Amino acid sequence: MSTSKTPRSGVGGQPVAAPGPRVHRRRGGDGIPALAFLTPSIVTFLVFVLAPTVGVLVLSFYDWNLLSDGTFVGLDNFDRLVHDDRLLGVYGSTTYMALAILAVNVVAGLLLAVLLESRMPAWLRGFFRLSFLFPFVVSASAVALIWRFLLNKDLGLVNYLLGLLHVDRIDWLGSSAFAPVSVIIVSSWKTIGFSILVYIAGLQSIPPQLKEAAIVDGANAWTRFWRITFPLLSPTIFFLVVINTINSFQIFAEPRVLTQGGPGDASRTIVEYLYDRAFGDFDLGYASAIGITFTLVLIVLTAIQFRLSRRWTYYE
Amino acid sequence: MNIPFRKVALVIATAAMTATALVGCSSDKDAKSGDQSLEIAYWNYGPAAESGNKATADAFMAAHAGVNVTLTPVTGENWGTYYANVATLIASGKHPDLMVISGEGAQFVHANKLVVPINKYIDKDPEAKTLLADIAPGLIDGFKVKGDIVTLTYGWNDMVVYYNTDVFKKAGVDPPKADWTWDDFKATAKKLTADTNGDGKPDQYGFTWASNEIFPGIMPWVANAGGNLTSDDVCSATADTPQVNKAVSFLRGLITDGIAPAPMPMSDVFTRFQNGQIAMFGAGRWPIGTFVPAGFKAFDIQLYPKGDTYKTVFGGAGYPILKSSKNPDLAWEYQKFTLSDAIEQQYVGTPDKPGDSIPSRRSVAQTISKVGVPPANSDLFYNSIDKYPTLVPYPAPAKYSTFESTVLRHLQLIFAGEASVSDGLKNMQGELSSIVTC
Repeated sequence: MSTSKTPRSGVGGQPVAAPGPRVHRRRGGDGIPALAFLTPSIVTFLVFVLAPTVGVLVLSFYDWNLLSDGTFVGLDNFDRLVHDDRLLGVYGSTTYMALAILAVNVVAGLLLAVLLESRMPAWLRGFFRLSFLFPFVVSASAVALIWRFLLNKDLGLVNYLLGLLHVDRIDWLGSSAFAPVSVIIVSSWKTIGFSILVYIAGLQSIPPQLKEAAIVDGANAWTRFWRITFPLLSPTIFFLVVINTINSFQIFAEPRVLTQGGPGDASRTIVEYLYDRAFGDFDLGYASAIGITFTLVLIVLTAIQFRLSRRWTYYE
Repeated sequence: MNIPFRKVALVIATAAMTATALVGCSSDKDAKSGDQSLEIAYWNYGPAAESGNKATADAFMAAHAGVNVTLTPVTGENWGTYYANVATLIASGKHPDLMVISGEGAQFVHANKLVVPINKYIDKDPEAKTLLADIAPGLIDGFKVKGDIVTLTYGWNDMVVYYNTDVFKKAGVDPPKADWTWDDFKATAKKLTADTNGDGKPDQYGFTWASNEIFPGIMPWVANAGGNLTSDDVCSATADTPQVNKAVSFLRGLITDGIAPAPMPMSDVFTRFQNGQIAMFGAGRWPIGTFVPAGFKAFDIQLYPKGDTYKTVFGGAGYPILKSSKNPDLAWEYQKFTLSDAIEQQYVGTPDKPGDSIPSRRSVAQTISKVGVPPANSDLFYNSIDKYPTLVPYPAPAKYSTFESTVLRHLQLIFAGEASVSDGLKNMQGELSSIVTC
């Protein structure tokens, strides 16, 4: 079948577009209402996103303590980053906790979502879904306060239960080895519900006939997962990797309430460190420099993820 | 161009909504009426702060016709973050006439030239002299920076040991006496430590202290060891002295001996104390404001045990006049008013709803026990500053928030057993040397 590329002539010899998908043509009077509808969003973006971002960028070149007049210091604040003895350690603890939280969300989230999509009574499925999602909608500080009580070394319920299994008391919140683990556990427990929810949506969008065909062809559950489920779910996994990376690098409330970042800096995150420099030391310029560089780190990380995703994501 | 009326109406409505939203975000600089107005920033740490400040402001307006007082509640997880948020408020263009500060903030507001010293008001106001005669000198000295008196203090707290009387009775231990020593204290705490559920490990401890504050944390022990964390002029750190080492070693010993659990934040201590898991802890008067309304009255207080010396560790709060005030004279009247009988009586409270700090005026504070506000030993609150030597200065450099977080960060490692006391304090001193300066 061939199609003509020559436009048909209409009245007055004007070319007539070939029939195709309906295209909404912009009518002359839509501009002002469109602008009016967009104005709140544009204003919100300008006031609450763009202006603070530009402000932080400008501040990073100043020495300012909120109360005095700022002094322009050029790149001094960025130079201080290099000589800050604690910064690298805080980046290290942040990365450790963020990667662990990311792994739990992406791997355990997938496992739990697949389990929740397996055959079970509807009420039980509903119960589990609600149970996993509930922590996600509760305030992070409130959750951390309760966990702090549970994880207390000498008087907490967790160690009491472990004691019944003849496990020695673990200093969940006070030791350098376990404080970050506590943050990972609490943060993952809180956020995994979101990952499960997204995974379930992804799993439900996979056409069932593909799995049915694979079963007919004799593929076992493992093969079906790797050959059908995983490839078709890869865009969802990629989305969760990106979102969870950004979110887990930004955790604040959990370490703040659970461990105050300690002991030492063992469970301190970069956002917490930035906050302390800004509102503990009143060193707004240096805090801004930390914020700018941290944003760049996240942008680079995300860009790398996008580049690598080409190798393993599959789009229909 | 023919634009339908419906669209025009839509545009106008949307624009109006946007404008309304923006107006809502704008400054409220017109909120004040006339010259007779005051704006006061206070730390809104809870309902008591809100109701207390509102009651004071209402009473002031009732007593001063035509004066309008606007209260600005400011949030903060502790005094340090509260100061940061007030600084943000000022940076955003607000100009409060007064702000509530604690003793920890005196150096901060003075160093940043935020306050009007009240020395000249005190000199020329006879009413002020009468007030001062009724206030313990230590409370005035606590707010003196380089000769400048930053504010009169309306309420204060000293560090005392709270003990759970039910736990003491159950263990057959006599209540502590004011002259007890560190050895007495340790022996008492040991008797109160118990394994109540028979799993072979203690689940009731003799003592603990707040991990998130130094005021009710290590300071009373450091003071009674004869030390301090800063020099007298608060210009240099003294965190690695033998006295500080002795105090911190004593506390760490309580943990390693199994008499004290791993330190926890103060709010957790409150709960553990009420349910009997902790027999003793240290704090000011503020826990009473939580315990009594919750129906918990099985407690009393005693002075901290004596080490090489005894010194009362205390801190007050006041309403300094800010330099941004347009009505400093009226602000001074307000500051004085916070020490009037009626307002000071609020801090006494009632047997069911006690105040959460000690009134600064001796004559009012002495009514606490008379009106039956728990605990039984309430007279000790004021006596501790009137009859015992005090720790002056309270170690609160201008960068107090950084100072406190640095001290706490190193203490975490020491109390977790991850740094020796000597090494931990040496590292602490190293960092503090650039934070505690003049």
